[in-house]
Amino acid sequence: MKFGSLEYAKKLQEVLNGDAEHRRLAKGETDSYLFVLEPEPAKGVAERYILGYAMANGKVADVWTGERKTTFVLSAPYAIWVDILEGRMGPIAAMTTRRLKIRGNILRLLSGSDSTLRMVELLRTIPTEFEGQYASIKLGAGAKGA
Amino acid sequence: MGPTATVPKTMKAAVFCGKRDVRLETRPVPVPGPGEVLLRINLCGICGSDLEAYKYGLYQPGIIIGHELAAEVAGVGPEVSGWEVGDRVTANDVVSCGQCRYCRRGRPSLCDSVTMPGVTTDGAYAEFMTVAAKALFRLAPGVSDIEAALADPSSNALHAVRRSGLGLGDRVLVVGAGPIGLLTVQAALLAGARMVIVAEMNPARAKLALEMGAAAVIDPARENLDFRVADLTEDQGADVVFCASGSPEAMGSTFTLVRKGGVVVPVGICEQPVQADFLSLVMNELEYRGTYASYDEYGLALDLMAQGRWRVAPVVSGVIPLDQIVEEGFEVLVRPDTKAAKILVKMR
Repeated sequence: MKFGSLEYAKKLQEVLNGDAEHRRLAKGETDSYLFVLEPEPAKGVAERYILGYAMANGKVADVWTGERKTTFVLSAPYAIWVDILEGRMGPIAAMTTRRLKIRGNILRLLSGSDSTLRMVELLRTIPTEFEGQYASIKLGAGAKGA
Repeated sequence: MGPTATVPKTMKAAVFCGKRDVRLETRPVPVPGPGEVLLRINLCGICGSDLEAYKYGLYQPGIIIGHELAAEVAGVGPEVSGWEVGDRVTANDVVSCGQCRYCRRGRPSLCDSVTMPGVTTDGAYAEFMTVAAKALFRLAPGVSDIEAALADPSSNALHAVRRSGLGLGDRVLVVGAGPIGLLTVQAALLAGARMVIVAEMNPARAKLALEMGAAAVIDPARENLDFRVADLTEDQGADVVFCASGSPEAMGSTFTLVRKGGVVVPVGICEQPVQADFLSLVMNELEYRGTYASYDEYGLALDLMAQGRWRVAPVVSGVIPLDQIVEEGFEVLVRPDTKAAKILVKMR
């Protein structure tokens, strides 16, 4: 499914809520997030994608696409998201090197780094299609060797 | 790989595993790739950012951390020239690409593709590490390993002073006398400050600030910092304020400690929200200038050390073995009442 789509957001909800380890690590969390995938027209990614989700007591309670006021906004060029999902860059390293821009209390965000790392591991299992020059990259069930 | 010293296959390394979790592990000795060298690490300092990572979990788990290094070249990768086994070196912890718009504008600290040994790639709390040859600085014969391990915080202090635009005769306030604050005192005096006042609550660090040349040290827990700074600056406030403390209260206090039209340089890493007096900022036309890491100032710091014009000895509180990095290093430095400033870790 297309990265950044509502279908993807719903799969994110299903995968995170279905994982006992993520539920344990995110226990008590009530923050909300926007992931902003910035376009890269020169690389065939013409649109900005905005995907959001809200946690309630450690589970993903709501998902959407488009802007909303959230506790955190994480934005980066499309390529950086691909790098994170492919495992070429860790999400914490992306934040500390400012490749992933954060709006919100970064200390509060990083205090949940264990659940963030688990989430990224789980996102890597979602069959994901990318756009533009990243279209040849496949994650999840469609990936080579998966 | 080019010429190499005899190196073992495995090494000991301190690995960041999460909040308050640094572990000694056995790792393979890395092999330098194209453009890289293999370093045998002698000393590595514990940086304030390592401490923040230790307290709050700011680094990627699995990384060998440490970036304030003194080393010698132990191996040379393909496509590297100018370096030989045995060369004494330190290395920049900001490895910029040289090609992005920030690098091309002379702002490598802001590089879009920066890599940071010890933060994003494996670092120097280890017997060996690899690093891009372009990040290396050769040590002059008169520069000791201890001085080389302080090159990074020294250059950060010099970069902060450069960023401030500090002028000859300025009155300076440095908030926080940790290692960066102490070195900033020295850098400000070198740049021509008329006087440097320091705000610091820890008595041991207050004493070090005086040793580094501070004209006065104020304990904000016991005295009204605003009043005392006013007394010392003819009621004007400081021309330049460096906030080398990561506390949000300290950062927030800078708005009223600086004179009208003055400059504030937040140097410390403060991850929490800060209460900011934007009315003072606007009405007093204050300038806030961020400063991050350093680049050109590495060479400057090493030159000053070689000339005997840059002191680091007062800042170094001890040298500990790698296997004590947590008990005698991190756990000592994170205590609010610590008597230590900079602790160096020796690998052999």
